[in-house]
Amino acid sequence: MSDAIIDIRHIAKVYEMGNEEVHALRDVSLTVGANEYIALMGPSGSGKSTLMNMLGCLDTPSSGTYLFNGQSVGDMSDDDLAEIRNQEIGFVFQTFNLLPRASALQNVELPLVYSGAPRSERSRRAEDALTRVGLADRIDHRPNELSGGQRQRVAIARALVTQPSIILADEPTGNLDSKTGQDIMALFDELWRSGNTVILVTHEEEIARHAQRIIRLRDGLVESDQPNEFHATPL
Amino acid sequence: MNVYESIVIAVDSVRAHKLRSSLTLLSIGIGVFAIIASSGITGTLQQTVSSQLADLGENSMLIQRTPSINFGHSWRKYRTRKDITPDIARGLRERMTTTSLISVSNTNNGFTIQSGQESSNPDVALIGIDDMYFEVNAISLQEGRAFTEQEATIGNNVAIIGTDLLPLFPDGKPLGKTITIRNQQFTVVGVLERKGGIIGQSQDNRVLIPLAVFIKYYTFRWDTSVDIAIKAYTKESVAATFDEAVGIMRTLRDLKPWEENDFEIDLNEALAGQFNNLSMAIVVVAWISGLGALVAAGIGIMNMMLVSVKERTREIGVRKALGARRRWITRQFLIESVTLCQLGGATGVAGGLLTSWGVTLIVRTTSVPGLDFVFPWFAVVFSVIACTMIGVGFGLYPAWRAASLDPIEALRYE
Ligand SMILES: Nc1ncnc2c1ncn2[C@@H]1O[C@H](COP(=O)(O)OP(=O)(O)OP(=O)(O)O)[C@@H](O)[C@H]1O
Ligand SMILES: [Mg+2]
Repeated sequence: MSDAIIDIRHIAKVYEMGNEEVHALRDVSLTVGANEYIALMGPSGSGKSTLMNMLGCLDTPSSGTYLFNGQSVGDMSDDDLAEIRNQEIGFVFQTFNLLPRASALQNVELPLVYSGAPRSERSRRAEDALTRVGLADRIDHRPNELSGGQRQRVAIARALVTQPSIILADEPTGNLDSKTGQDIMALFDELWRSGNTVILVTHEEEIARHAQRIIRLRDGLVESDQPNEFHATPL
Repeated sequence: MNVYESIVIAVDSVRAHKLRSSLTLLSIGIGVFAIIASSGITGTLQQTVSSQLADLGENSMLIQRTPSINFGHSWRKYRTRKDITPDIARGLRERMTTTSLISVSNTNNGFTIQSGQESSNPDVALIGIDDMYFEVNAISLQEGRAFTEQEATIGNNVAIIGTDLLPLFPDGKPLGKTITIRNQQFTVVGVLERKGGIIGQSQDNRVLIPLAVFIKYYTFRWDTSVDIAIKAYTKESVAATFDEAVGIMRTLRDLKPWEENDFEIDLNEALAGQFNNLSMAIVVVAWISGLGALVAAGIGIMNMMLVSVKERTREIGVRKALGARRRWITRQFLIESVTLCQLGGATGVAGGLLTSWGVTLIVRTTSVPGLDFVFPWFAVVFSVIACTMIGVGFGLYPAWRAASLDPIEALRYE
């Protein structure tokens, strides 16, 4: 198991709402190895986003242990977590979360700014990433000058520009029509095929079908964790 | 990129909230304006006044019947004073032992000087002087010569003119020409070096003639009092000379020990000091109110920044998700608040400089030729530093708030 990127054991997350306690995650254990392609499913409120945030080091568990590349995340400071998010994790959100005033190129450069890459290297790598998602001709456009699908491509370029260990996407097609959603999924497929590790949250079986492995959550517990029998390994 | 971007965001947020931000920026502007304008104006005037008072001669003092700068209102007390007659002046001169640099003069204003067809303004000062005048008052000539002792004591009709009167001589050669002052004719023997003026009064619009002539033709019956300028030999002997002069004057004027002096005696330094105190007071008041305005504006800046942090919660969440450390977020918001302060400060600096430059220009054209605008470097540098410190000081809390946001909650924020 030493080659696992993610290794979580008996993770729980409890939110305090007044005097009420919400158990978003009760007891979740799982490992994720290199170049896996995972879909995370489950009904609304089952804890998918909570788990993704935890995996993405945006949040820390109430109990249990989380080893990321062998390092214990629970012991890390805010700044250490920021560094892991910056270097090792690429996040793609349902609502894109691009900076509205910045161009596509500047948005993609942002993680490189925070990692301290020199200016010339930043723009070169950001351009490469945008080319990879098929937006080479849109680098100077602002988000409001791009379609939803194009915005999500920018967000994906931003997620992969630092060459992270893992790409996490929380309902990346949730705000897109099904045709555009398929285009975006083709992009994730391509990323996975070229060696990236991808975990995505989805409600749609059709989307989940792209993954190699499907994990289903219910009430903060893992209901099932199986290889995707429909998964055709194309090539 | 981060610095530039933060500056752009700051300018953007000013544009987005015109009223709120212009009020805040205005109050910074007013604070800086008060500091710059007061320093610029007083600095300019102070430099001129102190250089001119210094011109009157170091270590010198002036005895007059009434004070030259009168801040009080006791005219009654002064009106009943006896004249300082030329006899008293002579007596003082004979008895003084600590210095021999004593000059007696008298001034009257409102004369018209004529030369050939030309005629001056009717506001020329006529000064009757003795042979010690130039030495004691540290005045020099740019052309011609001073009066000889003989001319000064016997009273020949000779004159030395100030540079303001040069236009009377179209050929530019005043020496040897004749001027007419109320039916008396004088031969011009010298031209005073140009001096500029002490606030409101040109020092060059004057004509010097021997005191004896002055007393004979130009003193009014109700004002025959002369002024006595005394110069101590050294800085150390000023006090002794001062005391001696007071003592002799009291004796000459038959004052009883319990009576007050019935004459004014002022050290030049004291006159300069009075002006310096006045301008210092103006500067202190302006700076205190300016700093007060800046602090009040700082609270406005803090409010603006807190609103900005709230409006951009989601953006902060995104930045944190992408790996921005606390330091980056803090820095971004500090740069923003400093930019806001500098924007306000820049308007204040521009307004303050423009105002003090304008005042300098007005004073120069109306009363003090040769007045040079003194650029208030210290105040400008101070303002820039103060704006930076206020930006940092009052931006710190909002920046800390931004940096401490929980990334998840920030990303959820609608
Ligand atoms: N910040 C929070 N404070 C309180 N409760 C929370 C918080 N975040 C999530 N929860 C609760 O935790 C549970 C799991 O939420 P989570 O967002 O992980 O669900 P989800 O599986 O992503 O649902 P969806 O499919 O609707 O996105 C929910 O009951 C939710 O109300
Ligand atoms: Mg969710």
